[in-house]
Amino acid sequence: MQLDSLFKKIREDIETYEVDLHAASDKDLLEISNRMELALALPEMKRIKEYFGKQGRNPTDIELQALGQAWSEHCCYKSSKVPLKKYVFNVDEKRIIAREDAGVMGFDKDHYYCVALESHNHPSAIEPYGGAATGVGGIVRDVLCMGAQPIAYIDPLFFGPLDYPLEKLPKGVKHPVYLFKGVVDGIRDYGNRIGIPTLAGQVYFHEGYTGNCLVNVGCIGIMKKSELVHSWAKASGNMYIYVGGKTGRDGIHGVNFASAELTDESEESSRSAVQVGDPITKEPVIHACLECNRKGLLEGLKDFGGGGLSCVSGELAYSANMGAEIHLDNVPLKEEGLKPWETWVSESQERMMMLVAPENVETVLHICKQWDVPAAVVGKVIKEQIIRVFFKGLKILEMDLEFMTGGPVYDECMRPVVIKKREIVEKDLPQPDLNIALQTIVSSPNIASKEWVIRQYDHEVRGNTVIKPLQGKLGLETHGDSTVLKPLEESWRGLAVTADVNSRFVERDPYWGAMSAVDEACRNLIAVGAVPDCLLDCLNFGNPEKPERMGEFYEACRGLGDIGRALDLPYVSGNVSFYNESLKTAVPPTPEIFAVGIVDDIRNCTTSDFKTEGSPIYLVGKQTEQELGGSEYYHMMKIEGGVVPKTNPEILKHCMKGLLACMKKQYIAACHDLSEGGLGACLAEMAIGGDLGATVNLLALGNNLRTDMKMFSESNTRWVVEVQKEKQTEFENQLKKEGASFILLGKTKGHHLIIKEGTKTVVDLKVSILRECWHKPIWEFMG
Amino acid sequence: MIASYIINVTFKKTRYTGDAFIIRPKAETMKLKDINIAIIRIEGTNCEQESYDAFKRLGANPEFVHLKQLLHIDCIADETREILDYHCLMIPGGFSAGDYIRAGAIFAARIKSQLQRQLVEFVKQDRPILGVCNGFQVLIELGLLPGFDEIIHPIPDACLYLNDSNRFECRPTLLKHENRGTCVFTAKIQKNEIRLIPSAHAEGKLLFPLEKQEQYLNKLEKHDQIVFRYVDPEGNYAGYPWNPNGSPMNVAGICNPQGTVFGMMPHPERTYYRHQHSDWTGTQLGQNIGDGRAIFESVLAYLSKKF
Repeated sequence: MQLDSLFKKIREDIETYEVDLHAASDKDLLEISNRMELALALPEMKRIKEYFGKQGRNPTDIELQALGQAWSEHCCYKSSKVPLKKYVFNVDEKRIIAREDAGVMGFDKDHYYCVALESHNHPSAIEPYGGAATGVGGIVRDVLCMGAQPIAYIDPLFFGPLDYPLEKLPKGVKHPVYLFKGVVDGIRDYGNRIGIPTLAGQVYFHEGYTGNCLVNVGCIGIMKKSELVHSWAKASGNMYIYVGGKTGRDGIHGVNFASAELTDESEESSRSAVQVGDPITKEPVIHACLECNRKGLLEGLKDFGGGGLSCVSGELAYSANMGAEIHLDNVPLKEEGLKPWETWVSESQERMMMLVAPENVETVLHICKQWDVPAAVVGKVIKEQIIRVFFKGLKILEMDLEFMTGGPVYDECMRPVVIKKREIVEKDLPQPDLNIALQTIVSSPNIASKEWVIRQYDHEVRGNTVIKPLQGKLGLETHGDSTVLKPLEESWRGLAVTADVNSRFVERDPYWGAMSAVDEACRNLIAVGAVPDCLLDCLNFGNPEKPERMGEFYEACRGLGDIGRALDLPYVSGNVSFYNESLKTAVPPTPEIFAVGIVDDIRNCTTSDFKTEGSPIYLVGKQTEQELGGSEYYHMMKIEGGVVPKTNPEILKHCMKGLLACMKKQYIAACHDLSEGGLGACLAEMAIGGDLGATVNLLALGNNLRTDMKMFSESNTRWVVEVQKEKQTEFENQLKKEGASFILLGKTKGHHLIIKEGTKTVVDLKVSILRECWHKPIWEFMG
Repeated sequence: MIASYIINVTFKKTRYTGDAFIIRPKAETMKLKDINIAIIRIEGTNCEQESYDAFKRLGANPEFVHLKQLLHIDCIADETREILDYHCLMIPGGFSAGDYIRAGAIFAARIKSQLQRQLVEFVKQDRPILGVCNGFQVLIELGLLPGFDEIIHPIPDACLYLNDSNRFECRPTLLKHENRGTCVFTAKIQKNEIRLIPSAHAEGKLLFPLEKQEQYLNKLEKHDQIVFRYVDPEGNYAGYPWNPNGSPMNVAGICNPQGTVFGMMPHPERTYYRHQHSDWTGTQLGQNIGDGRAIFESVLAYLSKKF
């Protein structure tokens, strides 16, 4: 009751209240923050009180809501800014053309490509179908708002184990099978409908994701250099044109919801924070925006993301050191009766904000009308750095943009950091039957065929997908390492994309785990013949208010920075998602890496399937070591300890150079990187896709390793390569020249995968049996 | 009327080998660049660019036409178009209007409401219409296919129903060409030849009213309206996944009795080039001719002779 007295309606016909911060005690301030779902801490509320104190007035509820949005972890990166700046942002920045909602890099002399990656974790954990669909819908706008034609999606997904016992499931948590199906359905129905191919990505299962699945969404686009448009105003007088879906009550407080842990009540309390996606509104919005941009009608373009109208109008002006006046009466609404603050912060989907010079407004509105896309002039850019909002003729919000968008930043003092020291124990384990071990490994859900997912996504629409996510003989395809697009009609140049992380490494060692993710991403690009060009990071971590989680975050950032610097690969865009916790358990730290590579000529691309009988097979790269901490093999054997794979960027660089040179000269028939399941899984996958066996000998790996360790070690920087028979000498010479190590393992042969240690045959399995083991598991869970 | 078009049968490819057989265009009467093709789109149409490219690469003159331009809605002066401005219409793949009710139904209803008479005239003049994937669904919903007895049926005679798997299926499919010479879109493909033309759809199972199914399938066969059937790499009529949707008799594409209206579920524009084939790294690119290109070449050859 006491609190009610602090809220006073400003005018009879307007649902906006003045909030009496002046009279509020500290306790009241916190209660106000809770009641209005601002998710602001006491020091932040006090700062607001102080600001309005200086203005000599109290704030309105819409002003407080605007600050709640702008100062959320999601919008202002208050916990992550310091470590990101220290480690990640400063790598090879000169090649980055723009780093706004999406990153922009050079493609060829006339074109840029544009990439973005973000998370949509919490919405997907609550409502997998809608959460995933709107994730995909959001990321495409990030690429679009730079002026690029979106050309592909890549969506890494992380769930709990599919066989998780139902009775063990904590209250309020949905079963991984349900989440997996819902998320894939959502991505499929949205992505397929808007006609952007989804090139899969990564699907990963781990106990730690049971309470909080991760849905990361990435998108890549292409544009002419002249079409690049920025997310800032060019001049005062630029008109704000709201384009796309109407505004409703869906997605209110999405960013605040994303900036807190999930609880068993999230289902009830936060359902309304999940937006509703509508791909058939979006599809013409893409056309309309691109048409306006190509005709040179746009001064600026930005998408409505977290924080809705509040963030988009503020940031467009603030980035240009200007201000804005917005009229809420003109915003197209889904329903009557939205309170002004709801209109201001709603995160309804499918909306874009254009900035247009007054003389072009009419043309823009006509183009939108032709596409049946709602569009309305809602405001204009002004010189002063102030944002003002009007409703029914009354000014209901007026703040310095500096204050509104200049949210708090936390460093190590305010967000304490503890870096956990881990002891490494190497336990003895008996060597199992390796025939059985290999079959078990390839049927582990993290290695097994993801065909169930990949074939539900239209990965070929637009006709640019030249190296598909599944590669090999028709009907017998295996996993590829990267997917390659040929985005331009008149050029052979290609873009290769991959998404990787092994969170079992990261949870054991965030530094080396993060490095390994980048190593793997590079390996995957090299395997198809692409030169790594840039990286994106989606950093999914637990609650940053807990020092150990912050420690993991710092260490992972340090790892990313070190390897990025060593390889001259910039992090061109990314996203931080904290608070991935529920029921007292955090997700394993998951720095997802999305890497983009450039292929000079797609005609030289290689795939992972064995091609020809009798070709020599090589293992190229770093020495195989007993690095099985977090490996699929130790997981299968239920071994907790072990050394996590390290990486050496110098070796990686030499190997990349050597292999690329060999691919250019077409010495290589097939190439596949070694990751989960090591050499054994790699050989099996190559045989499965080519429907062609191999006989290899592990003796040459030397190093006093036991046979099972040689087969399943997950040491970084390694590839298996099938070399064209007649090019064997040239291949060896080329690698020697580049200083890359290699070992001749054996050759492709028959219908069996035969692995020997010296004279002893340790594995002899029919390729068709391996395929059955590898192909079935996920189909069996998902039907 | 049966198109007076003779095919030179030189050799048959009855097993999928990955090398498409192409007949080069002969002397033509109308210049390719004068052949106007309307790629018709509404919201949710999304294979228009690659469809446009296929015609453009062959030298024809494709144009994106929004249905509203044909209906004269929200147009300014030079934006209106007429169906009869074009020699050929193509309805590309996608999810027109979201396909939230039967696939293609809304697009078809919008066309039918105002353009039916012009469409009938278009078909009467033997001008060809191609529908791929969602476009095929639209042609069925329009009653232009199968087109028994009259050009356009007031009520659809068939439908493209949910795949047996109840899932969207994006996968390479092999099509055996079974048309005996009626279809103007496949004149450059040998009978019994097998081509790799990929599928990507959730609703592709061609169904007729149950009591008439057999009769209709026989009728299609009799009038040479069956154009493509799904097969496995050995050339056998196989079940899932080679038949991705469970269509009876493995039917993948049909034409009207005149051979000028043609609909197919798989996407020929996605294997225009050899480098778009899913297995190209295992073979040679050669001249980089994909298995789908012949569809576009065939209709352009037909048009350049006809007009």
